[in-house]
Amino acid sequence: MIKKIICFLLICALVLPLEGCWSRRELNELAIVLAAGVDSAPNNKILLTVQIARPSAFGGGGGGQKMAAAQENNVWVISQTGESVFDAQRYLEAKVSRELYWGHTVILVFGEQLARNGIRKAINYFSRSPNTRETIWVLVTRGKAADVLNSHSQLETTSAQSIGNMARAGVGVPVMLKDLSIMLASKGTNPVLPRIELTPSGKPQGPGMQENIPEARGSQQQATLTHAEPTTTGTGVFKDDRLVGWLDMSETRGLLWLKDKMEKGEITIPSPRESGKNISINIIRGNTSVEPFYDGQNVWFDVRMQMDGALLEQQSTEDLTDPRIFASIEKELNRRIEEKARSALEKAQLTYEVDIFGFGEAFHRKYKKEWAVLKDRWNEVFAGADVNIAVQARIRRTGLTTNRISKER
Amino acid sequence: MGIYFRKRKRPRPIGVSEKTSPPDGNHNSADNTSESLLLSTDIEENLQYLQAIFENCSDVVYREFLLAQQEQIKLALIYTDGLTDKSQVSEQIMRALALEMSMATDSTEITRANALHYVKMRGLCIHQIQESQRLEDVVDAVLSGDTVLLVDGHATALINGNRGWESRSIEDSKTEIVVRGPRESFVETLRTNTSMLRRKIKNPNLKIETLQLGQVTKTDIAVAYIKGIVNEGLVSEVKKRLGRINIDGVLESGYIEELIKDNPMSVFPTISHTDRPDRVAANLLEGRVAILVDGTPVALTAPYLFIEAIQTPEDYYEQSFFASGVRVLRIASLFLALTLPSLYVAIISFHQEMLPTPLLLSIAAQREAVPFPVFVEAFIMEVAFEIIRETGIRLPRPVGQAVSIVAALIIGEAAVQAGLVAGATIIVVALTAMASFTVYYSGSIALRLLRFPLMFLAAFLGLFGLISGLIIMVVHLASLRSFGVPYLAPVAPIITEDLKDSAVRAPWWAMDKRPHLIGQNNPRREAPGLKPHPPRERKR
Repeated sequence: MIKKIICFLLICALVLPLEGCWSRRELNELAIVLAAGVDSAPNNKILLTVQIARPSAFGGGGGGQKMAAAQENNVWVISQTGESVFDAQRYLEAKVSRELYWGHTVILVFGEQLARNGIRKAINYFSRSPNTRETIWVLVTRGKAADVLNSHSQLETTSAQSIGNMARAGVGVPVMLKDLSIMLASKGTNPVLPRIELTPSGKPQGPGMQENIPEARGSQQQATLTHAEPTTTGTGVFKDDRLVGWLDMSETRGLLWLKDKMEKGEITIPSPRESGKNISINIIRGNTSVEPFYDGQNVWFDVRMQMDGALLEQQSTEDLTDPRIFASIEKELNRRIEEKARSALEKAQLTYEVDIFGFGEAFHRKYKKEWAVLKDRWNEVFAGADVNIAVQARIRRTGLTTNRISKER
Repeated sequence: MGIYFRKRKRPRPIGVSEKTSPPDGNHNSADNTSESLLLSTDIEENLQYLQAIFENCSDVVYREFLLAQQEQIKLALIYTDGLTDKSQVSEQIMRALALEMSMATDSTEITRANALHYVKMRGLCIHQIQESQRLEDVVDAVLSGDTVLLVDGHATALINGNRGWESRSIEDSKTEIVVRGPRESFVETLRTNTSMLRRKIKNPNLKIETLQLGQVTKTDIAVAYIKGIVNEGLVSEVKKRLGRINIDGVLESGYIEELIKDNPMSVFPTISHTDRPDRVAANLLEGRVAILVDGTPVALTAPYLFIEAIQTPEDYYEQSFFASGVRVLRIASLFLALTLPSLYVAIISFHQEMLPTPLLLSIAAQREAVPFPVFVEAFIMEVAFEIIRETGIRLPRPVGQAVSIVAALIIGEAAVQAGLVAGATIIVVALTAMASFTVYYSGSIALRLLRFPLMFLAAFLGLFGLISGLIIMVVHLASLRSFGVPYLAPVAPIITEDLKDSAVRAPWWAMDKRPHLIGQNNPRREAPGLKPHPPRERKR
């Protein structure tokens, strides 16, 4: 018995180390990649930029180091060209002393040039490699992705987290890597990616925060005194995998309405009685249903939108307890929502001629046989389709007060 | 197994007994030869014999005196100094016999022939007197603290039950502390302990059978149970296992526990121990058997189930909602105590993806300067904590405070500042340490031990290793029995009726049945429908 137990324990003790701690990675042997940017480089190469966290600069190690840490840059941005993303990454390993760790990558940014050439050749590594996650937020920038990565956030520890948080909050159209893959695979929709840019945003709070704004890049790189914060400025529209144009923020709201992704936001309408004064409504709930119709020749869509909102600001003084006034505000709201949706729709149908709303998928669901015929020229069909928009907006609440307490006399 | 059985087949006489006859299985008898020795009628001969037995026992006192009568009958008192109530010896025995009896009117009737009868019936003012002819009983009595009175001309000894020795007074329980509920705890004296039980259960069905174990120490053991509630088979099994014991001494109930355990090679306790009379009484009322050992405040109860590790006496005194909440907390801390360090090691060295990004960055920052792999780091800290804990228990009181300050400084501040360990590791170790003390003490010993192999597995195989370790542990737990009762009951096998007293504690009016596997002899412990309610009918 005792011999058997000893034998068993010995076997355990000897076998376990034989595993050699397979796939064990100590935390301080990892270079945590927080953001990746891909730009195109000459000779059909790509330029991979990574933002690596510098844990020693985060403080928290020893008490004495903390003061110095605040002055240090807490990320390291490094670029490398290569034939492919993976190729560039392997070259990077020659510069980075630790193993690149992609498990916590928050964002993936495509530069404009690469996006115009097509993102397919850059995206595969990120969706195929087991090291990265499907939940990376994917963005596109005007200019070079490397510049976006090479920035700081005033609020978050790193700009990658700041951009990730903004994407999660749904400021622009939120797209994860898995969503992008689905959009790329489907013929019924074309990809859209939120556009991120550096814009002047106040004074830099402390050293190490001075960054160049891309527009300010002249012959020399000159540090301006204005801090550049990564900002969501709209949406990049793709035809298949190529960037064809942009939507601004207002059109992006329309895009969100039509994609049924409207979760929160605000709509401002002019007062129905008093000119030059506005009323702002907070969107509590919004949903959109799209129904396609096809008579063998023409394709048209009925889009029904519903919105619940809360009136949170009123510059004017009309009586909100009056149902007629209330109805006219809601009517104005309907008009405003339709207007936003129309602006995005017109851009997509007339300017870019791409279906970025997923109307093709709705069509596919309803007309399976006809889809087989139409799918290869869907973007043309979409561009010529009529869209009827019916909006039903309801104001459920008026905030803490009903009528204005202080009216102008 | 072979070695184990071979040893059992050849029982050797144990202890100082010079006789070589093998024990006959009767634990009461020390040796066969002295059993036949009877007292002589000659008091001198008896005294000589006893003096020979108690040679060099300086604490045995012989006191000879005369019954103050015309016939000059010689009496002798033999007792052990320190074990006997001396005031009783001088007042109730000697004074009564030597002075007061002679003043009685009928004192003239006393003759050598009826002296014994008179002494017993008229003279001694002792509440409990036994007679015995056997020398062995006399020796036992003297050693147990009784006073033996020999009367010249009679081959019978009077054994006066006037034990009385220095003992600790009843104090608060030191190991199981409650806010609400009785404070008292057992003491070292067996009689005091049984009296505490008797005071709680005033019922003739509370049986307290005593026996002696230990060839040398002759320690009194009491087996307590409630007839009519307990399963008779359990009592006989307990007695059978106790009867098998043949050991030189029993100094603590732990000796007995290890000798009658169901699974001797398991780290998990299958017999509960407690120093709280209320816990023992509650266990008896559920149909369990208690074993009390003289000389220790720690009583054993069996069967013991795993679920009892999260049950405290207070759960049954405090309101049931609160008790249920606390039990959930204890289950959580049970898991924390067992797995938290290994989970930490596994996640930090294998599965960094499982952490939220800000937490990962923060831990990475803390670990930046640490020179060891996380397993080594956590292992060092766990060992350091165990050392501090051990020091805390063993330290002489006056030094204790100084050492705890040093330990807190070393662990809390200096180790982090020196960059030897990460702050997160300290938090993990501290949380584990605290969590391990919320569960029942001897249950937590097993968890504390198993923490280390689990950490080892986690360090080599990550979560995979941790989970396999836990599976092995659960399989082992499921295979355990405590006196025939599955260790994981009422969870595995599932006994829905008993779940009322597991992770939750149902109100008393709902717990109307005893635990199914333990109290099946007499399942119902209260009348049904005791839930308080307003009067059903209102008559006008």
